Amino acid sequence: MSLSLRMSPGRWAALAAAVVAVELANRIGGPGMSLVLAEMLILALFASSLNLLMSYGHMVSFGHSAFFGLGAYGFTLMVTKAGLPVEAALVFGPITAALGGLVFGALCVRLTEIYCAMLTLACAQITFTVLFQWYDFTGGDTGITGFMPARFGMTEANFATLTLVVLGICLAAMARIVGSPLGLSIRSVGQDRWRAEALGLAPRRVQLAVFVIAAFFAGIAGTLFAVSQGAAFPDYAGLGFTLDALIMVVIGGLLSFWSGVIGAVIFSQLRHWGPLVTDHWGLALGIILMIIVIALPHGLASVAGKLSRLLGWEGRK
Amino acid sequence: MTTDALLSARKVRKAYGSFVALNNIDFDLPRGERHALIGPNGAGKSTLVACIAGQLPGVEGSIMFKGREVARLMPAELAQRGIGRTFQISRAFLQMSVLENLISANVIASGRWFSLSKSLLCEASDKAGEMLSTVGLTDRAQSTVADLSLGDRKRLEFGMALARDPDLLLLDEPTAGMSIKERHHLMELVAQRVDETGKTLLFVEHDIDVVLKIAQRVTVMVRGGILATGAPAEIAANEQVQAVYLGGHH
Repeated sequence: MSLSLRMSPGRWAALAAAVVAVELANRIGGPGMSLVLAEMLILALFASSLNLLMSYGHMVSFGHSAFFGLGAYGFTLMVTKAGLPVEAALVFGPITAALGGLVFGALCVRLTEIYCAMLTLACAQITFTVLFQWYDFTGGDTGITGFMPARFGMTEANFATLTLVVLGICLAAMARIVGSPLGLSIRSVGQDRWRAEALGLAPRRVQLAVFVIAAFFAGIAGTLFAVSQGAAFPDYAGLGFTLDALIMVVIGGLLSFWSGVIGAVIFSQLRHWGPLVTDHWGLALGIILMIIVIALPHGLASVAGKLSRLLGWEGRK
Repeated sequence: MTTDALLSARKVRKAYGSFVALNNIDFDLPRGERHALIGPNGAGKSTLVACIAGQLPGVEGSIMFKGREVARLMPAELAQRGIGRTFQISRAFLQMSVLENLISANVIASGRWFSLSKSLLCEASDKAGEMLSTVGLTDRAQSTVADLSLGDRKRLEFGMALARDPDLLLLDEPTAGMSIKERHHLMELVAQRVDETGKTLLFVEHDIDVVLKIAQRVTVMVRGGILATGAPAEIAANEQVQAVYLGGHH
């Protein structure tokens, strides 16, 4: 993983291509395609936030969807219960998720490896259960619906473009963090906590910081998702969303900044087009995942990296 | 505690169940001294180093460092108070380059690990560049740690330990697994750096040639206790020590 994530010509070209692709898809594919794109971009942000935790902090989370759900509910509850304007309520999604990250993270960083991962799962299950059963406040299993038109009343095409812009800003912020002293400290603790501690770093504080940061970005994704649906459901904090994000990061490849984005693009398209091609798309997904894990342990990002170096987009000083 | 002791241990005891790894150790380390810990495998040398570095829980007794009790502090706190260390099995950030390892060490040493500042990163990079030259790894700056020879890894670890400008350097078997030439090169570098900066060095070593050449004083440990302490020549002439190394001590 390079310390520097400056925008090289290749990356500018990729960003421009993404904008053009979204616009083309909006115009050619129609509303249906725009919604698929918007969901893909939201998942890219969600998976990228998990990737921050996994690739840089070397912490596996089975409960990252808790922050996605808290983001969605933090926003919707501020609209429905506190009566805030939708625009003002938007900031409360990520803040709620970050606060959740602070509380859950303070518990989870006390343990390491699989025990930490299981604790994240427990935290997410608690979040899901509260959202699912607290009917008076969260609407229980029926969720919160009808409080605003989906996507603010924006067209599907506009919303996909807006989502791309938000994703771009969030990725730039993540790149800044990764390339900063904080990012270096996160990587240090992730790679060898004993060495980091012997140098004077308190590993738990650093892990808590990355937990909160990842939760914040997951909260932005959850908020965007609630906006796109015009609703929030307990499933957003369920195991399904976490597993989807984990699959995306594995497809994209651990130890790469772009794995969340690459994984989300592949996974979303597979999920959208797979059922149209075969009734056994779940089986196909499993086989694809197996091939990637065995043949490309660093995921598709490693292939993209090799291609980028081959084309001379990377490695120039 | 003697008046000029940087580190002073009293009745330090560490047990794993019924096995006593360290048994009421009394140990003084004067400021500015190069001190070697030697002894057969299982004598307790690395355990003593780990106790001083705060790595082990359940340590009994007292360890005073710069006049303050540190026996129950965590490794990070000890590093902040001026104890730098290397490990018996080399520990560096494997997926980073040599330069990134040293930048990380300097960022952590700055105490501003949470910063997003690029200027801090530039400062750390400058210091890392100097450190590369000090430990003789300038030409390996962009290599990942995984690609380094054992000798180069040990040099890197030594450089990282220096980042915080510690008063006491603990090196646990710094030359283990290295060729004779590499051993002498590394330890000459260590001794030179320690003398130049007035630091105190405590190192665990099995190579007696290296010990006799580098150490100003030597402590011999056997079965969790201290057998003898003295100048290298005294230790070399000590019959009990000779018995240990020739297999006569049971």
